[in-house]
Order: sequence, then structure tokens, then C-alpha cells
Amino acid sequence: MKTKSLGSVRKSFSPWTDPDAKPFIRFENVTKTFDGTAAIDDLSADVYEREFFALLGASGSGKSTLLRLLAGFETPTRGRIVLDGEDMTGIPPHKRPVNMMFQSYALFPHMNVEQNIAFGLKQDGMAKSERNDRIAEVLKLVKLENYGRRKPHQLSGGQQQRVALARSLVKRPKVLLLDEPLGALDKKLREETQFELTDLQYELGITFIMVTHDQEEAMTMADRIAVMGDGRILQIGTPPEIYEAPTSRFVADFIGTVNIFDGTVTARNGDRLKLETGAGHLLEVDANEESVSRARSGEKAAYAVRPEKLRISAKELTGPNVLSGEVWEIAYIGDMTSFHLKMDDGKIVRVSMVNASRESPVQLTWHDRAWVSFDPDAGLLLAN
Amino acid sequence: MRQGWTAFNIVSVIIGFSFLYLPIVLLVIYSFNASQLVTVWAGFSTRWYVQLFNNQGLLDAAWVTLRVGVLSATVATLLGTFAAVALTRYTRFRGRVLFTGMVYAPLVMPEVITGLSLLLLFVAIDFDRGFWTVTLAHITFSMCFVAVIVQSKLLSFDRSLEEAAMDLGATPAKTFLSITLPVIWPAVAAGWLLAFTLSLDDLVVASFTTGPAATTLPMKIYSAVRLGVTPEINAVCTILIAIVTVGVLSATLVNKRREVRRARESQVAFG
Repeated sequence: MKTKSLGSVRKSFSPWTDPDAKPFIRFENVTKTFDGTAAIDDLSADVYEREFFALLGASGSGKSTLLRLLAGFETPTRGRIVLDGEDMTGIPPHKRPVNMMFQSYALFPHMNVEQNIAFGLKQDGMAKSERNDRIAEVLKLVKLENYGRRKPHQLSGGQQQRVALARSLVKRPKVLLLDEPLGALDKKLREETQFELTDLQYELGITFIMVTHDQEEAMTMADRIAVMGDGRILQIGTPPEIYEAPTSRFVADFIGTVNIFDGTVTARNGDRLKLETGAGHLLEVDANEESVSRARSGEKAAYAVRPEKLRISAKELTGPNVLSGEVWEIAYIGDMTSFHLKMDDGKIVRVSMVNASRESPVQLTWHDRAWVSFDPDAGLLLAN
Repeated sequence: MRQGWTAFNIVSVIIGFSFLYLPIVLLVIYSFNASQLVTVWAGFSTRWYVQLFNNQGLLDAAWVTLRVGVLSATVATLLGTFAAVALTRYTRFRGRVLFTGMVYAPLVMPEVITGLSLLLLFVAIDFDRGFWTVTLAHITFSMCFVAVIVQSKLLSFDRSLEEAAMDLGATPAKTFLSITLPVIWPAVAAGWLLAFTLSLDDLVVASFTTGPAATTLPMKIYSAVRLGVTPEINAVCTILIAIVTVGVLSATLVNKRREVRRARESQVAFG
């Protein structure tokens, strides 16, 4: 079983692999149509308690609609959502045990930080002394102890983000929904906040569902990622599964960069397949378990391999799984160098080389001839 | 680009402002005229103001106008705000375009037609004309102005504020009162002021819909002027101008002070 050792992270928390684990949130055949077009199309998924679950997709993929369905701002056209054993159909937003952190933060402009945070507690009729304790506690959690009397417009973007977070956490919801929580922060602050949020989620033990279009953000923070497109979930998996074992061409292409070679299977020897690409290259690749049953001789198949799994050389190489081309673009990024090679048939192959030492073993410049090679298990076969 | 005070600029400004304000300035000056004759200056005097405050007819009319204005502006603000909320919030109901058009139609309707149709209605249902009919008529035409003002504010309003409030457990009614209303408050207040002003200077609709017992100030002034302009009328108008000026100035000052305070708070926050 190859999937077990994907990536470099060993997971200790993985209820989704346990057949006896009870899902905390179930989306059951949920469909939502707006004026006849389906924003969510017959979608089913399970989320487990204490999980950090990310919905990743381009704009218009339906990820925000799914979040709004869970919050109760939209009602499903068909299907239902079950939260902690309770059917959410017909329950208005103000009676749901979920809280949402909005992309725009949606801080009430006429209230100061404390009043913003107190708002949710007041709706529950909580006594003033208990309320104040909870507010102090949550302000400490987001490190804004001395900002309680400030109005939202007197805070920086990062501080506003923390207030929004505090306000959505103070009622201790069963599920916290985060709509592009870091979208409005600059890069440096975003990276810091990513780890703070994961630590916070671990500490509090609240189930988080986050919507994002930033794959790096999803990979950094989430236990599992659902890749969405056209109102459907295309794949659910841990970050390594999504990156190393995409089940479709769309997912492979959407997450990170990938080189895809289209070809025809010419021979098969156990788990090893021979694939002839349109440009006449012969590839010898491992048929990973899912595609073994699919790829037969004479069938069309595509082989996907990530740039960092290719080796580049200035010297001529021979053997199977060797391609050669002209150096078309070079980008020196610091930790790695990225090459674009133009094959003889015009196809661009992306190769990245980690700069593990200060002096590079490979010296190449624009328009040089270069060779790339890879191992049979470097990539994976995808169904077309 | 030169933007100096050229002779041409100065002349343009003088002509423009004279055009706007000369009649008003003349009116104010002549209200302090000692002479009975409107066009002959006979020295400074406040006798017309004294006489004005002894003119029971005018004072009664002013009192009626004030009551009609406050009452109709308040009701129009309530109705107009609800109409605006309904039209911006519930965007998917059938016939929304028709309703929007119908709310705005009175904006462009000639006053004579509004007045006449209301008169016909009151006669048809045998409603005694007087204070209440004028008030109803003023509510009718001023609520659409309020609706327009409030609606423009609601369109720029961040809906996620309301969603956040509901998400935090507030019922829709509570959300409206504690979040929406405080945020759109300036527009509601502006709507009230406009409705009040419209009611204050309406002559046409009031003439159609009032009865003998409730004569408004504009009607009184108009009928007095038909018998010849008296310095007393000038005095009434000067007082009206003063009230409007003070109102506009104080609104501007309050706004300005709020801006300054906001800027100062931000400065404290960010050093």
C-alpha cells in the first residue's frame, strides 16, 4: 500500500481512516441552485470532530456557498446537512451552533472591540460578570488585552482580523467557519497567522472549516483538503495525498505545478507500463494501484510528474525516462532554481532543482541543450 | 496649470453669487425697513418683527405648519425606511421592479396632480379636510424622498454585518435594531430633515388638501402677497431663512466635529 507513506508527515490524527468513527458534519447529497444553475451539485462529504477541514477551489467553484449553507444563510435546494446528529434543515442562522469569521471581518463599526465580542454573548442572555470574564479570556487568547476600548477603525488589518476571530470564538461554537480568513493580510503576516491559527485550533479542539483559494494556505493549515470545482468535490485527502496522489488531471493541475505527458500504453510488465508519448518519447513508469486496473495496452493514458521529481543535467543521458530540450526560461529563486525546457515538439517541461549547496553542480544558460530524467515511481498515471 | 484669481474669475464668481443671493439679501434688508412702503428705504427698524409677533393669524399658521411638518416627516421617515429596506433586502420577490418604480413615481409627479388626486380621494371617502388631510398628503409625497435616500445608503451597506449579527445569535428584528439602524442612521436623519423641509415649503399640495381650519404658513404668505408685499412678510421670510441657515450650519458643524474626532482617534491608535 503505497498511499500510507506519501509525503514527509506522519499523521497521528486521522479519524477518516477509522471505519467506526462517527462523522461530526455530514453533507448528504446537497444541491443548491441559483436561478437554475447549480452552485453546489449533489455534494456529499463527512467532516470529523476536531478536524481542520479546508475547502479549496477557484472562485465560482461553490466553496463559499457550501460554507453559507452550513451557516444557514442559504438553504439547500435538495439534500440536507447534519451537524452533530442534528438535521440543520429549517434552522435559521441565529439558532445554529456554528459561528463564522467573515472575509471582510464584518466588525460592527459603531461598537468598540469589547462590545463587538459581547454582542453574541448578550444574545444568549449571559450575565454581565460572566460575559466580562469570557471577553477577557478570549482577548488574551488573541493577544489584544489592551485594545478592548478601541473602535474597529482604530485597529490595523491584523488586529481587526484577531477581533473577528475572537468574536466568532467567544460563544464556543461546535464548528467555526472561516471564509478566506487570511485573505486581507499581507504575505508576512499571513504566514505567521497560519501557524497561530493551527495552534489555536489544536488547543481549543473546535472543528474548523475554512474556505480558501490559496493552496499553500490550505496545505499548511488543514488536516484534510477538499478540492472543489463546478460545485462538486473532486477529491478529499490529506495535503500529501492531494499533492502526491491526485486522482484526476484537474486536481493534479490545480495543486502546484505538474508536467503531464499524454500517450498510449504500448506494453505492460507486471506493475511496470511502457507509455509512448505523442512526441515519440518512451516512458517506463510504475502503474500505481488505482490505475493498474485501468491502463491496458493500446489505451490512452497520461503520466503526471512534479517538477521537483525531475533531475536536470547538462550532460547527455541515455536510457528510458530521459527527455531532452532547450533551456527556455531560468528562474533563480534562492532555495531552488526553476527551469523551463522546450522539447523538440514544442512542449514545455518544468524542472525545479533544490539548491542544496552554494555551488551548483549544474551550470546551464538560456538556449543550452539539457537532459532530464526521472524514476519510474516519480509520478503517477492519470485516467483521461 | 495656473489657478490664480484672474479678473475673469472674480467677475464670474460675483455674478454667480449675486444671481443666487441678491434677492435674499434684499429681502432681509427690507425686513428691517422702517417704511411701510416695501421699495423705499426709511431707516433701520425692528417694528415689523414686533408686529409679526402680534399677528395671531400668522402665528397660528406657523404653528400648524410646524405640527404638520414634524408629524408628516416622522411618519414618512418610518414608512420610507421600511420601503427602502424591503426593496433592497428582499430582491427576489415577484414584481420588485414594478414596486420600485411605483415608490419613485411621486418624485416626478407634478404637484398639481398629486394634490388633485388626493383631494378627489378625500372627497370620495368623505374625509373632513383640515390638519389631518394635509399631514397625510405630505406623508404621501415625502416618503418616497426618504426611501431614495435610505436606499442609497443601504446599497453601500455591507450585508455581512447583518449576517454576522444573525450568526452570533441575533434575531432578524434584533439585527435590524442593533446593527442596521445605527449604521444607516445618518441617512434616516437626512431623510427626516428633507421630508420636514418639503412639508415646510409646500404650497400646492397643501392648498388642495387643506380645509378652512388649517392654513399653513406658505398658504398664508401667498395669500398675503397677493394683496401686496408687506414688510411683515419680509420679516417672516427672514426668520425662516435664519432657521434654515442655523439648521444647515449646525448639521455641517456636527459632521465636521465627528470627522475631526475620528481622525484624532485614528492618530492616537497608529501613532
